[in-house]
Amino acid sequence: MAVSKATDLGKALCIITGASKGFGRSLAKEISGLLQPESVLVLVARSGNKLSELQTELDSLVAGKHLVIRCVIADLGLREGVEQVMKSVRELTAVDIDHLLLFNNAASLGDVSRYAQSFENMEEVDSYLSFNVSSALCLTAGVLNAFPRRQGLRRFVVNISSLCAVKPFPSWVLYCTGKAARDMMFRVLAEEDPDLRVLSYAPGPLDTDMQLQARSSSADSNLRQIFTVLHSEGQLLTCEQSISKLLKVLLEDEFSSGAHIDYYDL
Amino acid sequence: MSDFISDGCQDFGRALCVITGASKGFGRELAVQIAGLLKPKSVMLLVARSGKQLAELKDDLVASDGDKSQLVVHCIQADLGKKEGVEKTIRVAKETSAMDIDHLLLINNAASLGDVSRFAMSFTDREEVDAYLSLNVSSVLSLTAGVLQAFPWRHGLRRTVVNVSSLCALKPFPSWVLYCTGKAARDMMFRVLAEEEPDLRVLSYAPGPLDTDMQTQARCYSGDVKIRQSFSSMFAEGRLLTCQESGAKLMRLLLDDDFPSGAHVDFYEL
Ligand SMILES: NC(=O)c1ccc[n+]([C@@H]2O[C@H](COP(=O)([O-])OP(=O)(O)OC[C@H]3O[C@@H](n4cnc5c(N)ncnc54)[C@H](OP(=O)(O)O)[C@@H]3O)[C@@H](O)[C@H]2O)c1
Repeated sequence: MAVSKATDLGKALCIITGASKGFGRSLAKEISGLLQPESVLVLVARSGNKLSELQTELDSLVAGKHLVIRCVIADLGLREGVEQVMKSVRELTAVDIDHLLLFNNAASLGDVSRYAQSFENMEEVDSYLSFNVSSALCLTAGVLNAFPRRQGLRRFVVNISSLCAVKPFPSWVLYCTGKAARDMMFRVLAEEDPDLRVLSYAPGPLDTDMQLQARSSSADSNLRQIFTVLHSEGQLLTCEQSISKLLKVLLEDEFSSGAHIDYYDL
Repeated sequence: MSDFISDGCQDFGRALCVITGASKGFGRELAVQIAGLLKPKSVMLLVARSGKQLAELKDDLVASDGDKSQLVVHCIQADLGKKEGVEKTIRVAKETSAMDIDHLLLINNAASLGDVSRFAMSFTDREEVDAYLSLNVSSVLSLTAGVLQAFPWRHGLRRTVVNVSSLCALKPFPSWVLYCTGKAARDMMFRVLAEEEPDLRVLSYAPGPLDTDMQTQARCYSGDVKIRQSFSSMFAEGRLLTCQESGAKLMRLLLDDDFPSGAHVDFYEL
């Protein structure tokens, strides 16, 4: 691997799902500073208002740099969702880029107020997996098809993972199952395509809405307490803290493709 | 858990045993082996889509039992890829009068390989991925939940849930994205269940490469040449395992009952 430590992510097409808030939103802001002029940022989420607010913020943040920002209002939980994103992405295939960056960040926690024994309704499980697992595979496949391997194009696929991909948390059966599934899916992808750079990044406990849900609704009282203490003692990470480590890993570009890397490993 | 630690049982007691994917392959073999280890008046529920093959299995089981243990066998013809199939199976389990059982044994064996002729990059069809996960992950969670609810914890009832897993739950195989993803998902699901319910005995068992229809599919269709070759040579050199030998190891594990709940145990580790 050519180790010329990069200081930016080149002229890129960068796609971020779940960009309306939390980690995805901060990621969009932090990464915009690392993109060269004429790069394209595609932001995906259900909340159109929040996406346009972010777009306005980004416009003033990177003023004069000629970043193209596209918002795609789409529900990735629905079958059409991925197709809507792909429609935008396909319109961009003529853009001359040297980096493709896909961040599979959108996710849901699922109902953590109940234990595994209560999930006898298959539809609930199906729809959780459809959003959290299937949509990530189909979107990744679609994007990679639209931007096939070619000389001079470096392709990164990032899976925003979690400690839950490797460690079972009581009362979090859907979340743990989905994250374990995604990690494996991206490991297979990394095996299959040595030209790709695939990373599963576990961002650590972040101060976002998802954390709020974790500490207020987890059925397991131990977990609830752990998260409550992390919060009250100010030990949750800011999204910016976690993102700076992620971006460093991407810039250094030395991780082994398919690896699961945790914030606390770094 | 300590209640059950290795008294090195010789049988499964008077049990209600549910086996999915019992019409052929490993599931059928497990049904045969388990039937021989049940105390009188036990009940077996055999689930699969192929009613005819289930009925044949039932005849075989009843015939080899003779009349000595009054084994009750019910066939449930159901497609576990569909919500109705899971519901039907849960309903029959609930209706089964099994007041006096001392062991509930659920074997989640049914699974599909998915299309292994293609690489991950080709899975752009959401419906295909959804349908795969529905059969191989969702139905397993929902069925397990429904059956455990039907037979809640009570004193004197031992409850065992087996996930028939695979090396693919731990190791990525090129061109097997659906299969690896599904098996990794299931292993984690059962690890969570084991954490949550300390009274349950949960086991993910990777049976090794078995000489079944699924293997034929693997060696004929795998998109990855190396995988195809390695399965073909295993077959040609007679290194595939019989369902009988792998099943026997699983029986030993379950009878000894000293695995840590939630563990992934591989045939080759034993
Ligand atoms: N927070 C933590 O402590 C933590 C820890 C480990 C890993 N993670 C992971 O980090 C990632 C970001 O989490 P977060 O904490 O930032 O969560 P968050 O604040 O809840 O944000 C989730 C994002 O996903 C989007 N989203 C949700 N459902 C969607 C759907 N159906 N279609 C499209 N977009 C959808 C949301 O936008 P809309 O609602 O506008 O659609 C939002 O932008 C997730 O993958 C999460 O699993 C978080």
